[in-house]
Amino acid sequence: MSATEVVFYIISFVMVAGGLGVVLSRNIVHSALALIMSLGAVAGIYVILTVEFLALAQLVVYGGAVIMLMLFALMLTRARERPQALFGKNRPVALAVAGGLLTAFVAGILGTEWAQSNRDEIEPVPFEEIGDVLFSVWAVPFEVVSVVLVIAMAGAILLSQPDEGER
Amino acid sequence: MPDLVLSEFAGVSLPDWIDALIRIVFVVALMTVNALALIYLERKVLARFHQRVGPTRTGPFGMLQSAADAVKLLTKEDVRPASADRWVFELAPYFAFVPIFLVFIPIPWTETWVVRDLELGFLFVFGVLGLNLVGVVMAGWGSDNKYALLGAVRAAAQAISYELPMLLVSVAVVMVVSARLLVDNGSTLGAVDLNVIALEQTTTPFIILQPLGFAIFMIGMLAELHRPPFDMPIAESEVVGGYFVEYSGIRWSFFFLAEYTALLLLVMIASVVFLGGWNFPFGEDVGLGLQLVLTLAKAGALIFILFWSRAMLPRLRIDQLMSFSWKVLLPFSILQVLANAIILTYDGDEWIVGVTSLALLVLLSALVYVRAKMLARGAERSIHKQPARPRLITAQDVTSGD
Repeated sequence: MSATEVVFYIISFVMVAGGLGVVLSRNIVHSALALIMSLGAVAGIYVILTVEFLALAQLVVYGGAVIMLMLFALMLTRARERPQALFGKNRPVALAVAGGLLTAFVAGILGTEWAQSNRDEIEPVPFEEIGDVLFSVWAVPFEVVSVVLVIAMAGAILLSQPDEGER
Repeated sequence: MPDLVLSEFAGVSLPDWIDALIRIVFVVALMTVNALALIYLERKVLARFHQRVGPTRTGPFGMLQSAADAVKLLTKEDVRPASADRWVFELAPYFAFVPIFLVFIPIPWTETWVVRDLELGFLFVFGVLGLNLVGVVMAGWGSDNKYALLGAVRAAAQAISYELPMLLVSVAVVMVVSARLLVDNGSTLGAVDLNVIALEQTTTPFIILQPLGFAIFMIGMLAELHRPPFDMPIAESEVVGGYFVEYSGIRWSFFFLAEYTALLLLVMIASVVFLGGWNFPFGEDVGLGLQLVLTLAKAGALIFILFWSRAMLPRLRIDQLMSFSWKVLLPFSILQVLANAIILTYDGDEWIVGVTSLALLVLLSALVYVRAKMLARGAERSIHKQPARPRLITAQDVTSGD
């Protein structure tokens, strides 16, 4: 077992543990923190796949922004005081469905012919090529995404304004 | 990098990971010594600014003061609020402190003394520094204390607001570096590599080409470190410690250690990116000795400037500092990126970049000065304004006026 495989198993363990923590935790703030753990492990997987740029982008976007947003939202509203109804009567059905989905996904992943599955080494994509292509070939989707972000921000600001007459 | 100092000392070539481990241990030891030294130095320097002496009793010239502080913190009782969320409270110091240590990986102390010369070094710095905020917010929430939560939210808001202008001026510097690399090598590979950025400053440090960038980076640095004048979230007379108010003893010392380590970290980044790091006067030619001296001298000068600004400047209110970042620094940093983009795309000379940046810096200072004068005059006027005198109006005065 090579060092890369050992590292991969450790990171996958952290990722799965984080995922289970998100779903099974009683306290919603603990779920958010387990989500950070899980997403950080995804960044580790990107490093193993030699796309370090994506790993850093994952850390910046998820660790820095999305999780901060979730934490602010959870902490500044009264999320803690409501009881969490986690386990209802349909637990066996839910378990069966989840198990079925898991087998379907794993079968699908193991059965597909991936593009690089015949090679022993991965060819790393040079990071400056991503930049070149992003701003030349894919410039229009890039601009559209930035416009969508501006719309989302403006919408959020508008939604958080107090209504007329309300102080 | 196995062909370096460590292998020479050991006499054999070490496998990559042992080499990395030894370097990491060096950096960790250096950080501990640094924290102890900076605590003592800060107190001495601040004391001199306040015309007093600072610590003198513990050890010769008070040099063992840091050790005394460390012993005190280690022997304090570990208090935890009973209703605090236990896991969040206890894990928060580690989340606040580990990312800062991780960011020491790509920082070059000399040409070859780097833990790992990462190709994406600069991006790594900003990506991982952002994880520090998770620890801050966790500390505020886990303390089960409204004021701690308030301090944590303010600290996080301040940090992300000032990170934006810092990032944009860093992008401006990387643009200059990649324009040069494109001319020299035909590809922009290595433009975010901190060692390459230091190497590109053999003749002119980037403070001359991007003075506005340096100014905004220094201001952003003060805000990221929660140092005066931006220390509203942790100010003692305001939020009594902010997000670490419920922490005592070792846990509090983690936050403290994180603050001083981040100080050295950001000062090293500023000196590598803007002042030329180990390279500027003749580092590349003369070799290791001069490089080390240059690094330490530049870091020391910037650290002294940070201590000096703590002694001199009053504290900004939270709304003042947020509006300063979003309304003043951010537009100027966007203008800087735009100016760089326009000049470099049309193959302008580099001195045009420098002059434009200097012009923007002068504009920024003028704007701040004029605004400050306006506010001062407005305040003066309201102080000297006469209070309205009560007048006696009779019914005849009112009806006779028709």
